[in-house]
Amino acid sequence: MSTLYERLGGAPAVDAAVDIFYRKVLADDRINGFFDSVDMEKQAAKQKAFLTMVFGGPNAYSGKDMREGHRRLVARGLSDVHVDAVIELLGATLKELGVRDEDIAEVAALANSTRDDVLDR
Amino acid sequence: MASLTFDDRPVPIAPNQDVLSALLAAGVDAPHSCRAGICQSCLSRAEGEIPEEAQRGLSNAQKEQGYFLPCVCVPKGPLKVLRAGTSLEATEVGVCAVDRLAPTVVRLRMEPCAPFAYRPGQFLSLETPDGCVRSYSIASHPEEEAFVELHIRLLPNGRMGQFISERLSVGDRLAVRGPFGTCYYDEADRDRPLVLVGAGTGLAPLWGILRDALSRGHRGPIRLYHGARERSGLYLSEELAALAREREGFSYIPCVLGSLGPADGDVGKAVLEGEPQPDAASYFLCGGGDLVNRVKRALFLRGAHLPRLRADIFLPAS
Repeated sequence: MSTLYERLGGAPAVDAAVDIFYRKVLADDRINGFFDSVDMEKQAAKQKAFLTMVFGGPNAYSGKDMREGHRRLVARGLSDVHVDAVIELLGATLKELGVRDEDIAEVAALANSTRDDVLDR
Repeated sequence: MASLTFDDRPVPIAPNQDVLSALLAAGVDAPHSCRAGICQSCLSRAEGEIPEEAQRGLSNAQKEQGYFLPCVCVPKGPLKVLRAGTSLEATEVGVCAVDRLAPTVVRLRMEPCAPFAYRPGQFLSLETPDGCVRSYSIASHPEEEAFVELHIRLLPNGRMGQFISERLSVGDRLAVRGPFGTCYYDEADRDRPLVLVGAGTGLAPLWGILRDALSRGHRGPIRLYHGARERSGLYLSEELAALAREREGFSYIPCVLGSLGPADGDVGKAVLEGEPQPDAASYFLCGGGDLVNRVKRALFLRGAHLPRLRADIFLPAS
């Protein structure tokens, strides 16, 4: 029985997904305001770590880091609607890459499990 | 036998232990996050033999300069980790020419008194005898020229500009530190279109990178866009136009807002309109932060690959 990460294609799949996902995030007016002034390389590396985690890949996910990393954005109004938008764009990215619906649901569930940490509650 | 030092201090490391955990155990406040070699939060620089897996995902330029990811680095031999921002030894230079390239741009040529190795497009910091320090991109080419050349924009009340245009003479001694930065030509891009975009003295690194690409046998087309506020700011335009006539595959696109060039002279727009296939090309974007960030983001959204979007932002001194 293969793991989610293996089914999705491992590290090369993360590499393929990160550009598509990041483009969708930057192009989406619901959330791109939070990304206006960030260093694009650093942001892409963070998104890669996030995608690896929600793909079920090797990670050292820390709720504490996630809270600290987003606290400034929460103060600027980051809320459930923005998390929903990110999960939606994640699904659209995977769809574009031809991932099965069952696996997309599993990735979305993993992403959703970070919600309370991201929103610091 | 693995051994580790940080900032010249020995740090204990166990067999099969990674560098990040050894540094943290020794009380070094090393930034980190994913601990899986992905997020690059712990990116550091070292001298010594760096295992291949500790450089996965880094650019060739970063690899050459000893950058690595401590969280996935299990050293096999001695490794010297450098403290971030370690200041390099200063190199003394003698001024060999100071002249105007444009009404607000001075060209400064200096001969290093000791070997000073660099790649065209990197930058250095220049220090005056009274302690004023500013960073400038290097415009010269080390194999073609014995001098190190900088293009210095004169700003109203700019300390360095005033010093250079009013007090500096040929023969004077200055100090430089560097080189710094990873904004230079990568031979892996040899067959790609190379798009060089500079505003104002953002042309300085491009002048070096362009000649570096040509001397290293670049085979793809090269397009250089130079934006200036006034026509007189289009310095080196004769040299660039001559090169464009001589070298097949090289185009020079000067832009002056409202009066010259495509897209009514808006260099950012000219690039976006002039590059129909952003995903194929490799870019160097140099100049003020507004322009560089705007063009970089727009090119990425149109399909350009982030590691091939190299940017150098010129910040005014605070």
